[in-house]
Amino acid sequence: MLWTDKYRPQTLDEVVGNNKEKKIILDWVGNWKKGNPQQPLLLVGPPGIGKTTLALVIAKEFSEYIELNASDKRSQDVIKSTIGESSSTRSLFGDEYKLIIMDEVDGIHGTNDRGGVKAIGEIIKNSKHPMILMANDFYSKRLQSIKPKCTVIKMKKVRSPSIRKALKEIAEKEEIKANPKALDLIAKKSNGDMRSAINTLQALADNDKVLEPRDVENLRIKDDRSDIFNAITGVLKSKNPQHVREALRVDEDPTTVMEYIAENIPREYTKKDEIKKAYENIAKADLYFGRARNSRNYGYWKYASDFMGIGVSSSKKETYKKFTKIQTPSTFTLLGRNRGKRNLRDGIAEKMSQKMHVSHAVAISMFPYLEIMFNNDELAWEISDFLELEQNEIKRFRKKAIPKKVINKMEKQKAQMRVEERDRRFEELQNQMMNAPKEVVEVLEEPVEEELPFEIPGIADEPLEEETEEVIEEEIPEEKEEKPKKKTDKQVSLFSF
Amino acid sequence: MSGPWVEKYRPQKLEDIVGQKQIITRLEKYVGEGSMPNLMFTGPAGVGKTTTALALVKSILGEYWRQNFLELNASDARGIDTVRDRIKNFCRLKPVGAPFRIIFLDEVDNMTKDAQHALRREMEMYTKTASFILSCNYSSKIIDPIQSRCAIFRFAPIKGEEIKERLQFICESEGFEADDEGLQTIVYFAEGDMRKAVNVLQAATSEGEAITEESVYEVVSKAKPQEIANMINKALIGDFLGARTLLRETMVLQGTSGEDMVTQIYQEVSKRVVEGKMEPDFYINLIESIADCDFRIREGANPSIQLEALLTKFI
Repeated sequence: MLWTDKYRPQTLDEVVGNNKEKKIILDWVGNWKKGNPQQPLLLVGPPGIGKTTLALVIAKEFSEYIELNASDKRSQDVIKSTIGESSSTRSLFGDEYKLIIMDEVDGIHGTNDRGGVKAIGEIIKNSKHPMILMANDFYSKRLQSIKPKCTVIKMKKVRSPSIRKALKEIAEKEEIKANPKALDLIAKKSNGDMRSAINTLQALADNDKVLEPRDVENLRIKDDRSDIFNAITGVLKSKNPQHVREALRVDEDPTTVMEYIAENIPREYTKKDEIKKAYENIAKADLYFGRARNSRNYGYWKYASDFMGIGVSSSKKETYKKFTKIQTPSTFTLLGRNRGKRNLRDGIAEKMSQKMHVSHAVAISMFPYLEIMFNNDELAWEISDFLELEQNEIKRFRKKAIPKKVINKMEKQKAQMRVEERDRRFEELQNQMMNAPKEVVEVLEEPVEEELPFEIPGIADEPLEEETEEVIEEEIPEEKEEKPKKKTDKQVSLFSF
Repeated sequence: MSGPWVEKYRPQKLEDIVGQKQIITRLEKYVGEGSMPNLMFTGPAGVGKTTTALALVKSILGEYWRQNFLELNASDARGIDTVRDRIKNFCRLKPVGAPFRIIFLDEVDNMTKDAQHALRREMEMYTKTASFILSCNYSSKIIDPIQSRCAIFRFAPIKGEEIKERLQFICESEGFEADDEGLQTIVYFAEGDMRKAVNVLQAATSEGEAITEESVYEVVSKAKPQEIANMINKALIGDFLGARTLLRETMVLQGTSGEDMVTQIYQEVSKRVVEGKMEPDFYINLIESIADCDFRIREGANPSIQLEALLTKFI
């Protein structure tokens, strides 16, 4: 069980911090109880400071409560049908109020929640029941229309001495030995977020060992990775299947979680057999993720999840008594750091794939040979010319630029060959077109009428010629797009070699 | 004077294609008849699938083959939707100056099953105007409905003698001296892969010297990334983290594919056992793991994870 749930305050007094605000809330509850309807409460403040806890404590003062949060689809209809009804009608039995709790109001957005803000506005207007709305960002645009209709309570971060005190109490109840300085460090690093502080304590807690400040020092508590960090720590530090399962419930792509676990296995486990066993499990998890992807049967995920969770955690004989800094998979950082290099590589591969009828993978597999060939100045120029490589792409294969002398010489040769080739082609065409001795350029401009004489020498059989003629006549009116293309292609075939 | 020899010496006509005689004979019949069914070419890399497809297209479509021909690589075209859009747009137009249109789709085995099913519908929809040539390494990865719509041609690795002849022909045309052992060595390393053979040949001649056994060995060892051997050494002395870093760098920076990594790891360890640098028992256990890793990658697992797991077997 998560300690944040286990030790959630049950009364208003137990809620840590925000004493002034608590008083306002207490008055608000009192007035409702006396039968004085009040404006809804809007609790605004950063995560983990006790907004939900407060709402749940207040809920006990009322006969019933209804809860909605951001993970629900909050379209107008959903809101109206689930709480719209109950908000405008009162219970048949006397003065019993239902408390309506709505979490993360500023999270309403996008097409799924179309009309959500408007609907909340209407509910507020019509509601005969107490309502508590919660939001993180006071300045959110989505709160603009809601704020004037509510009693806004801005809640502050919990001060670190208060967090430290709470951590100490939990540690005592859980019989965790902890150096007070370590708790202090967790409290400070949590930056006013009680939930994150308690989660961290639970992740680091070890019954056999005193929690020391150095265990905490390298932690990066509370950033966007804090959840995945807890999950990985759970898998690597625990041998308890239930704990591992809970740890793996994170809001992350499971294959990303798998890569994090894989990354940190050899950092935590040091015995060879354990690394082997753990990695075997990771490989099996990966296999099932692959099968799930290929077959679109995501039911396989549960097996994958067990392999990478319980499988990896039980690969160790004993839990290591040391602190391991959980690290981001180096593949991610490698990918990020080398984007330029990879783009260059893929750009070359794309050019090769166009000119040489190969896939990127095959093109890349030819790179080592190209590197050798590029040692030769002339060959380097030829290949670069053939593939139309840019200067920086040439550098991928050879450090030195191709000498100017060589470039000039090769360009001259190429020009010479072009002239020769063109002359040869021209002669060939003239010979072919004995029946229609017109200029080539004219032929190109009038492809429709001049095509036939072109084809006669190429196609020996009479019937075939007739067929071709038919098709062309049939096509020409519709195939306007094709004409210009044909022209350019013919030009290419005339002048390239 | 035209860049890579693999392209310069790509046979342009069916009759010039090296090896695969039976297949060529059959395809020439299609050319004679002026029509062809959907075709599937399967076989390992560098045995002439693309070359045969291009040559067939040129002879069967005639002078206007370019206008009636679409070449797509299934593994590079971004997503099946792109492939389908391009096929659709291409097939909607009637053939011009040719009896029909041809779509050549390379590396179809890299398409997901869903994408293959979508492709199958495209194949049915345009039977009147277009024929398909599909190419793949493993026909087992192609769904049955597609296989049953194609005449399947299995390309075998090209025979050593035939590769040697072709290399000799290239050497003569380019004016390079080549001794018999030199060519024989290329043939040995190429393992029936003509593309590889021609690449090694051109790389070996790029130093301006004659082709000898030594010059070929030099090229082959230069072209082989040193990282694989280093990685295995690190793993063998128990430095798993170091080995894993090398593995990742090779894959991310060089862009080596998972399948190529497996092949190279295999070649490296099998060299070691032959040279007596590895115990046969240990080797055979490794082979089982390598084979398993190979199989899983082809089945669609994540290559880096599987290769990392393979590396643990060395420690």
